[in-house]
Amino acid sequence: MQDNVTSALLDPSHSSVSTQDKSSTGGHTSSTGPQPSKLSSITPVPAKSRNPNSGANFHRMRRIIAEDPEWSLTIVPLLTELCIQHIIKNFQRNPILKQLLPEHQQKVLNHLSPDLPLAVTANLIDDENYWLRCCMQRWPVCHVAEHGGSWKRMFFERHLENLLKHFIPGTTDPAVILDLLPLCRNYVRRVHVDQFLPPVRLLAQPQTGDQSDSGSEGEMEEPALDHYQLGDLVAGLSHLEELDLVYGVKDCGMNFEWNLFLFTYHDCHSLAATIKACHTLKIFKLTQSKVNDEKARIIIRSLLDHPVLEELDLSHNLIGDRGARGAAKLLNHSRLRVLNLANNQVHGPGAQSLAHALAHNTNLVSLNLRLNCIKDEGGQALAHALQTNKCLTTLHLGGNELSEPTATLLSQVLAINTTLTSINLSCNHIGLDGGKQLLEGMSDNKTLLEFDLRLSDVAQESEYLIGQALYANREAARQRALNPSHFMSTITASGPENSG
Amino acid sequence: MNPPGSLEGLEPNVDEHLSTQVLEPSVNSDNPQERIQARRLRIAARLEARRREALGEHLDGKKESEEDQSKSYKQKEESRLKLAKLLLCGTELVTNIQVAIDIREIHRRVEEDLKRQRIEKLEDEVKTSQDKFVKITSKWEEGKQKRIPQELWEMLNTQQLHCAGLLEDKNKLISELQQELKTKDDQYVKDLKKQSDDICLLLERMEEQVKNVMKTFREELYHIEKAFEMERQELLASNRKKWERALQAHNAKELEYLINRMKKVEDYEKQLNKQRIWDCEEYNTIKIKLEQDVQILEQHLQQRKAVYQLNQEKLEYNLQVLKKRDEESTVIKSQQKRKINRLQDTLNNLRSKYAKQIKQLQEENQSLTLEYKRLMTQFKELQKAVRHFALIDDEKFREIWLMNEEEAKDLIARAFDVDRIIHTHHLGLPWTAPDFWFLKNVGPISQQPQKSTTQIVEEMLLRTEEEEAEEAASESESYLDLPKQISEKTAKRILMLLCDESVRRGRAAAEGLTGVFCCRGLCRASALGIESEDDLYKLVSFFLQYRAHHLSSSLQSKPCSQASVEEASVEETSMESELELAERTEMEGEKEASLVEGEKGEEEETPPSPWVIHPNDVLKILKAFVKGLRKPRDSQAPLRVQKSVRSNSKDSEYWRALTTVIPPSRLNLWDALYTALEKYHLVLTQRAKLLLENSSLEQQNTELQALLQQYLTSKVGIRAFQGGVAGGGGGDRGQELAVGNKESPPHQRRCDVKNQQWHLETITGQRSRSCLKSPPG
Repeated sequence: MQDNVTSALLDPSHSSVSTQDKSSTGGHTSSTGPQPSKLSSITPVPAKSRNPNSGANFHRMRRIIAEDPEWSLTIVPLLTELCIQHIIKNFQRNPILKQLLPEHQQKVLNHLSPDLPLAVTANLIDDENYWLRCCMQRWPVCHVAEHGGSWKRMFFERHLENLLKHFIPGTTDPAVILDLLPLCRNYVRRVHVDQFLPPVRLLAQPQTGDQSDSGSEGEMEEPALDHYQLGDLVAGLSHLEELDLVYGVKDCGMNFEWNLFLFTYHDCHSLAATIKACHTLKIFKLTQSKVNDEKARIIIRSLLDHPVLEELDLSHNLIGDRGARGAAKLLNHSRLRVLNLANNQVHGPGAQSLAHALAHNTNLVSLNLRLNCIKDEGGQALAHALQTNKCLTTLHLGGNELSEPTATLLSQVLAINTTLTSINLSCNHIGLDGGKQLLEGMSDNKTLLEFDLRLSDVAQESEYLIGQALYANREAARQRALNPSHFMSTITASGPENSG
Repeated sequence: MNPPGSLEGLEPNVDEHLSTQVLEPSVNSDNPQERIQARRLRIAARLEARRREALGEHLDGKKESEEDQSKSYKQKEESRLKLAKLLLCGTELVTNIQVAIDIREIHRRVEEDLKRQRIEKLEDEVKTSQDKFVKITSKWEEGKQKRIPQELWEMLNTQQLHCAGLLEDKNKLISELQQELKTKDDQYVKDLKKQSDDICLLLERMEEQVKNVMKTFREELYHIEKAFEMERQELLASNRKKWERALQAHNAKELEYLINRMKKVEDYEKQLNKQRIWDCEEYNTIKIKLEQDVQILEQHLQQRKAVYQLNQEKLEYNLQVLKKRDEESTVIKSQQKRKINRLQDTLNNLRSKYAKQIKQLQEENQSLTLEYKRLMTQFKELQKAVRHFALIDDEKFREIWLMNEEEAKDLIARAFDVDRIIHTHHLGLPWTAPDFWFLKNVGPISQQPQKSTTQIVEEMLLRTEEEEAEEAASESESYLDLPKQISEKTAKRILMLLCDESVRRGRAAAEGLTGVFCCRGLCRASALGIESEDDLYKLVSFFLQYRAHHLSSSLQSKPCSQASVEEASVEETSMESELELAERTEMEGEKEASLVEGEKGEEEETPPSPWVIHPNDVLKILKAFVKGLRKPRDSQAPLRVQKSVRSNSKDSEYWRALTTVIPPSRLNLWDALYTALEKYHLVLTQRAKLLLENSSLEQQNTELQALLQQYLTSKVGIRAFQGGVAGGGGGDRGQELAVGNKESPPHQRRCDVKNQQWHLETITGQRSRSCLKSPPG
């Protein structure tokens, strides 16, 4: 069953691999020469006919005269045209681009096939249009904004992502990825992989299928379940900034096994070494991967004193108080700005250690503890920390079983703190009195823009009034944003008056 | 209330703005100006905020009134608010699902407590079943011991029962768990369904939201555009109206202006005409006047031209003259230059010559100094020789004296013998030898066994000259041990000081011989009881000691008070000698006057030597010295001092006395005797002559007889007889002269001695003078 899945998963990448590597056992392409290959590439898409070749049959050319913007009455094409055609034809064997004039370069680039092997194009072509065509050809939905607006980067990132997604340790040749490395090392900034396939050897053991219920027994076979080791790849990518990993399998359907979602210690250690070695990494995300305290601490230890790391996302894991304590230590030993521990198992002590670290931190901007269980002891500790903290702007404490005492302290914080702009206390048990106290605190606050109190047993009236206050704050902020010059001028104009 | 989409877009701006506002003039900046600016801004912001609070409502009202002015702004605000609300509501709607799921999750987690309960239950179960199992297994042991089949059977039965119970329990539990699993599975499926529903709902809502938002955005955009259009229309209409009104007003005004202008033009024309006539008249008068002026000026010009030409000629002449002069001056200059050069050459020559001469003179000077040194040595040697000769002279003098004396005494003895012979033989009187003092005297009278201070001083003076050179060398030696070598000169000065002291007292002022330091010194010395050579030296050494002792300390702290005391004490000792001194000086005064004069001048010239002792101190020193000496001495010295001088007179007396050994009466006697004897002698000689004549006549007679006999034989004999008579008369006179000569030598010798003495004195005087001449330095 899984074979089908994997083969199905591999299908889209198969063609790309074949186009990339001619020598590999490609399906329908024949390596006779460039001419037939081009013909074959044209014939499947006759409707497009973007390459109105002068060497093509006359009738076709006639037929599409109306749509051809480059049509001309000159029967004999120019020598430059012919040369360009030739260059395009033989680009794979003899790539000539940089030596041409800009206009000719443009012409060549417009006519190059997106199926050319990456080894030829990767480091030669910088033209976004070409890569746009490549992307559009491979993926129906392209969100170039997620890749820094660069089509080339997008192409390589998604290509690499595809390869990693369908890499089966032990079965797939590691060279497949490592060969790509010299081509994509300068363009890949972000690696986003939402599945890591386990080794295929699992299939050969029918017993695993029988013992599919006992997830606990998976530990016995842990060494066999290691996933792809990112070390070599990450070390090769010189501009890598973001690493977004999910150790799990997507679309497993009825083939579900606990073993498929196993983030082993070996994986953890190798990942820790990888990110420790990567000094350009700014964002690290490891979500939905069953990271427990031990693994979290291994990873966090490797991140201590990391030079540039700004965002750490360990949401949807199994991190408890010890992991939270590790994260708290990390806060004051790095330049972390965003910490996301949503949907973990952090309890009061963990939150207290986080609060202790937060009290004197000057880097952290956003803290997300959604769906944890810090309760009032943790909430109060955090509120105390916020009285001294001057940096945090966003705090998410939704679904943490907080109640009135935390609300009391938070209202005091609201009156004092001028940096917080967003607080989320949804899905707690704040209660009516707590809501009133928060309303009191809000009345003294001029900076808070968002305050989420949904489903937290707060009276409608106070919620509404808080909303009013937030609205006023937002308006004030908008005014300040819109005409800072006016604001400044009034100050400067009134300055002398007041002083005089 | 999760972040709405539109606000998400806005927020970064807000943040940015806030951050920039905070960052731009930061209070923590390094630049002080910036800090000041930041603080000012902060203060201003606070004041502004306070003011706004106070006038909040008023301001808002103002703002609203402002907003009323522009419809589009109002519309914009409205639509913005509407859209913000829409977005907020939409996002809330969408995020509500998440929140709902969250709370469901929380509820589920709360249910997980059931899991814990279940686990506990299971554990309890395990424990109880374990216990049961242990019981059963323990019973097996019992069963092994049973021998009776019934009992065994019974036990087995019970065991079976127990096992069945245990199994039942387990099965029950399993069935329970399976039930639970089933429910959980159901729940899971339900949850899945629910979640898929939720996701569907979410998607739906999102789509709806997107649609809504797009729609409302479009609507609002349309509204805004419409509002803008309206506003534009209104503005156009109002502007056109305004424009028309303004145009009309403008036209009216222009007409008015035109009329005014025409009127004014007419006025101006009239005025112009008037002005023209008036100007013409004026122009004519002025023209005439100016022409006259021109003529006058032309005349002036002619004159000026003449003057100018004259001047030009003069100036040209002057220029020529000056050029000539210039040439001359250049010639002179060149000459002067050449002269200067020549003079420079000569100057250089002269300089070189001068240098050469300096060199030469230096060499000469050196050679002369060498010569001088050599001469000095020679001079010293000469002095030595002189002294040596003086000694020798003295010796000789003594010898001569002795010799003469002996001679004189021989003569006297002879005279006495003669006298005695005369007395005894001729007169027949008894002769007594006369006893004179000088007959016993042997050697020169002036010779004295002890040296007087005068001699010491003389000696000293001599020696100072000798040892001037040595002094420098011996200075380093301690003066206490060798007072003589050092202090010969010093002693002189001390003595001079003594003299000065006497002058100051006014005692010796009458004498006018201030500089006669020798005798003064002597007097003083004698007055102080200094008679011997040793004493003088002692005094000198004492002086030096004293001075050395007191030089550093305060010497003159109280000279006045002591002076009086000293005076008294010194006067006592010196009073007697003072009187004598006056007499003596008068006697010697004339002798030494010559010396004094020279010395006076020299004294004044002597510069203050390092050995100078202040006159005020002298008394002190002397007093101390006298005290230290403690030997009152009688003042006999003055008598002896004059012996050497008196000896001369005594000598002459002596020698004269020697001449008068034979008293004149006796001489008279001798003369009378002599005359008598002479007469007697004369008689005798006449008798002798006569005898001789007689004999000669006899002889002649005989001869004549012989001759007569001969002559008688021949005539020659008569002539020879006449020549013999003439030679006999001359021999008598020569004897008389010899006697006169014998008496003269003693007298002559005396004169010689006198001459010698005087000669000696002159020499010594000269020496002392030369000694004074040469300065101690």
